[in-house]
Amino acid sequence: MPLVALRDLHKRFGATQALRGASLELEPGSIHALLGENGAGKTTLVRALYGQVAPDSGEIAVDGKPVAIGIALVHQHSMLVPALSVAENVVLGERGSAFLPRARLHAEAAAVLGRHGVAVEPGALAESLAVGEMQRVEIARALARGARVLVLDEPTAVLAPSEVSALLQLLVELRARGMSIVLISHKLEEITAVCDRVTVLRAGETVASRPLAGLDAAQLGRLMVGDALPPPGRPPETEPGPVALRLAGLRAEGLAGIELELRAGELVALAGIDGNGQRPLEEVLAGVRPLDAGRVELLRPPLALLSADRQRTGLVLDLSVAENLVLPEAAHGGMPPVFHGGALRSAELARAADEAIARFAIRAAPDDPVRTLSGGNQQKLCVARALRARPGVLVAVNPTRGLDVGATAAVRDELRAQARAGTAVLVVSTELDEVLELGQRIAVLFRGVLLELPAGERSREAIGRRMLGAAAA
Amino acid sequence: MKRARVFAGPIAATAVAFVVAGVWLALLGADPLRALGALVGGAFGDSLALETTAVRAGPLLLVGLGVALSFRCGIWNIGGEGQVAVGALAATAVATRVAAGAPGLVALPLALLAGTVAGALWAGIAGVLKVGRGVSEVLSTILLNFIAALLVAWAVHGPLQEASGAYPQSDALPAAARLALLPDLHLAHSGLVLAVLLPLAIWALLFRTAAGLRLRAVGASPEAARYAAVSPELETVRVLLLSGALAGLAGAIEVCGVTGRLFENLAAGTGFTAIAVALLARLHPLGVLPSALVFAALAAGSGAMQRSAAVPSVAVQVIEALVIFFSVGFALPRRESA
Repeated sequence: MPLVALRDLHKRFGATQALRGASLELEPGSIHALLGENGAGKTTLVRALYGQVAPDSGEIAVDGKPVAIGIALVHQHSMLVPALSVAENVVLGERGSAFLPRARLHAEAAAVLGRHGVAVEPGALAESLAVGEMQRVEIARALARGARVLVLDEPTAVLAPSEVSALLQLLVELRARGMSIVLISHKLEEITAVCDRVTVLRAGETVASRPLAGLDAAQLGRLMVGDALPPPGRPPETEPGPVALRLAGLRAEGLAGIELELRAGELVALAGIDGNGQRPLEEVLAGVRPLDAGRVELLRPPLALLSADRQRTGLVLDLSVAENLVLPEAAHGGMPPVFHGGALRSAELARAADEAIARFAIRAAPDDPVRTLSGGNQQKLCVARALRARPGVLVAVNPTRGLDVGATAAVRDELRAQARAGTAVLVVSTELDEVLELGQRIAVLFRGVLLELPAGERSREAIGRRMLGAAAA
Repeated sequence: MKRARVFAGPIAATAVAFVVAGVWLALLGADPLRALGALVGGAFGDSLALETTAVRAGPLLLVGLGVALSFRCGIWNIGGEGQVAVGALAATAVATRVAAGAPGLVALPLALLAGTVAGALWAGIAGVLKVGRGVSEVLSTILLNFIAALLVAWAVHGPLQEASGAYPQSDALPAAARLALLPDLHLAHSGLVLAVLLPLAIWALLFRTAAGLRLRAVGASPEAARYAAVSPELETVRVLLLSGALAGLAGAIEVCGVTGRLFENLAAGTGFTAIAVALLARLHPLGVLPSALVFAALAAGSGAMQRSAAVPSVAVQVIEALVIFFSVGFALPRRESA
C-alpha cells in the first residue's frame, strides 16, 4: 500500500479548472518527481496534499487515513524567522516549557541538526545563513517534528550549484531512511540524478506516473507538453523586412547573453519555463532594469510593451479606462492630439477612449476604474494602448495568461494582424500552444540565454527538450 | 468619483462629530445646544466673525491644497508647518531688507514670490533626499519643520530683529509690501481672492493636464507609471516643489496680509491642521475650500463658546479631533484601503 494516495482530484478556482483528475501515489523510501508546464496544476496538487487546498472531489489518503498528517512543505523562499537564531527557529512553535535555558536549547537544536547531517551553528542568526543552509535547517526542523513526506517546490531554483549537490545528497540520505519525497523541478539533470518515479501533470490531469528508469529527455519533454496536435491557429505568412530590433549580447541580472534579431513584419515567439529570464527581459525592454553588458538597438521605434503583469506594471488600476489609455502620452509634457501644450483636451480623450472601446470590444465605459474590468478587458485595453503609439516593435509577454478562450483568440489575432501590417512582433510566452500558434520563428529562453529552434524542427518535442535545457546543441 | 459622493462623506463626518461633541459637552455639564450655538455664532454670527473665519481659512486652504496634491502623488508631505515658516521668513526678509524702499507694485509681488520660492525649495530638499538617497519624506519633512522653526527664531533674534531691538520680532512690513484689505472690510485682505481661485486652478491641474495625470498615476502605482514612461522620481520632486510653494505662499500672505511682522510660532499648527483639512476633503481640491472653512470656523468660534457657555476653549480641540476621527472613518480616500 502506498504511503500517500491522491486519487482523481478535481479543483476549480473561479473560472480556472486547476485540477481535473490529478493523481499521485507515493511509496516510502522514494523520491518522486512531479513534472508539468506552468499552470499544469503542480502547486495546487501539493497544496491539496499538504491540506492547504480542499479539493472539490477526489480522494486523499495518507497511510490509509483521509487526513494530511506528517506532510512537510519546503518553499522556495525561506520560512525561517530571519532575526532568530537557528536553534530558536528549530524549536519555534513547539510545545514545551515556558523557559528554555540557552545551553539546553542549543544542545537540543544541535542534536536535531546533527541527526540529519545539517552542519550549521545553532547560535547563528537565520538571516546570516546561505539560502541552501536555510533550506536544510527547514528540512531538519520538519523531520524533527515527525514529517514522513517532504514536498520541495522548485528548491534548487534559488541555489548555487554547490548548494544544489548538498541538498540532493541530503535527499538521497533521507530516502535511505524511508522518507517519501516529492521533488518539483524543471531541471532534468536533478530529476534523473535522484528520482525513482515521475508523475507528469498536463492541464490539471495526471498523464503519466511511472518509474523514471528508461525515460530520456525527449520522452519526458513529450510527456510534459503533450502530443503534436495540429495547432488551431497558424503563424502569419509574411515576408520579413529590415531589422527592427537587435538584442546584442544582453547581460543583466537573470540574462546571460541574449542575441536576437527581429525584423519588420516578423513574428518571433520565445518559449520557456517561467524564471528562465522572461521577467528580466521584459524589464530590460521596458527600460527599468539596468544592463550589465550588451545593447538594445531599436531601429524602428517606438517599442510598445504588453507587460506580463498587467495589474502591477501594465495598468494603473485606480485610474479610469480613458486615463490608462493615454498615460504614456502624458509623459514628457504630453503628446498631441489628446494633450496640447500640457493641457488635456477632454473631447479628444473621449474620442480616443470611444474608438479603443469599439475597436477592441472592451466591455467598459471610458470613466470606469480599470480595477472593475475583467482580466480579458484589461488586456484588451493594454493592447489598445500599445497600438496607439503605432509601434515599430511590439513585445508581448504572456499576452493571454488568465484570459478566456474568446479573449485569447482576439489578442492572438491582433498580434498576427500587427505582423501582417509590418510591425516586428516578439511574443514571450510560457504556453507552448501560444508559441506554436504565433511564432514564425521560435526560440527557447533557458537560464537567461536563447536556444533557437532550427527551422525544420518545429515540434512540441523539440521545444519541450530545450525548455528542460537538454539538447541545447 | 462622482462629485456628490465626494462631499457626502465629509458632511456626514462633520455632523456626527458635532453630535458626539454635544453628548460630551452635556456630560461635562454644559448646555450642548447653547455651546455649539455659540461656536457657530462665533464663526459665522456677524460680519466680523465671518471675516475672522475667512482669514483663518486662508492659510489652511493653501497648505491643504499642497498636502492634497502631494498625498495624491503618494508623497506624505508632513512639512507644511516648516514650509509656511520659511515662506513667512523669506517674505519678511525681502519686504523689510531687500526691497525695503520699493513701491507697492514691486515690493508686494517680490515678497510673495520670495515666500513661494522659499517654501518650494524647503520642500524640495525632502524631494532631493528621497530621490537621491532614499530618505523617507515623512521623516525629512517633519525634521525640516524643526529646522525651519529654529531658523525663524534665529532670524527674529538676529538679522531680522526690529530696529529698536525690544522684542524678538521683525520690523513692521512697509505699507508697500502689505496686502490691501478688501473694500469695506476690517480683516479680510485681498489675498483671500486667491483662496477662491486656487482650488479651481489645482483641480484643473490634477484632472485637465498631462502633469496631473502623471502625478495621479505615480500616486496610484509607481511601477505602472514607470512602465508608461512616467518617472516617479521626477514627479516626486515636482509635487514637493509645488506643495511647498503653496505652503510658502501661505506663509508670505500671512505676514503681508495678517500679522504685518514676522515672529516665532507665527501661524503655528497650520501645517498640521492642513493635513486634516486635506483628509476631510478626501484629497479633492474643490473639497479643500469647505473643509478649510470647517476647521477655521472651529478655531474662530472657540472664544465665543468659552465666553457664553463657560466651556473651556480646549473643548474645541476635542471637536477638531472628532471631525478628523470621523472623517477618516467616513471619508478615507479609497485607494488607502486598496
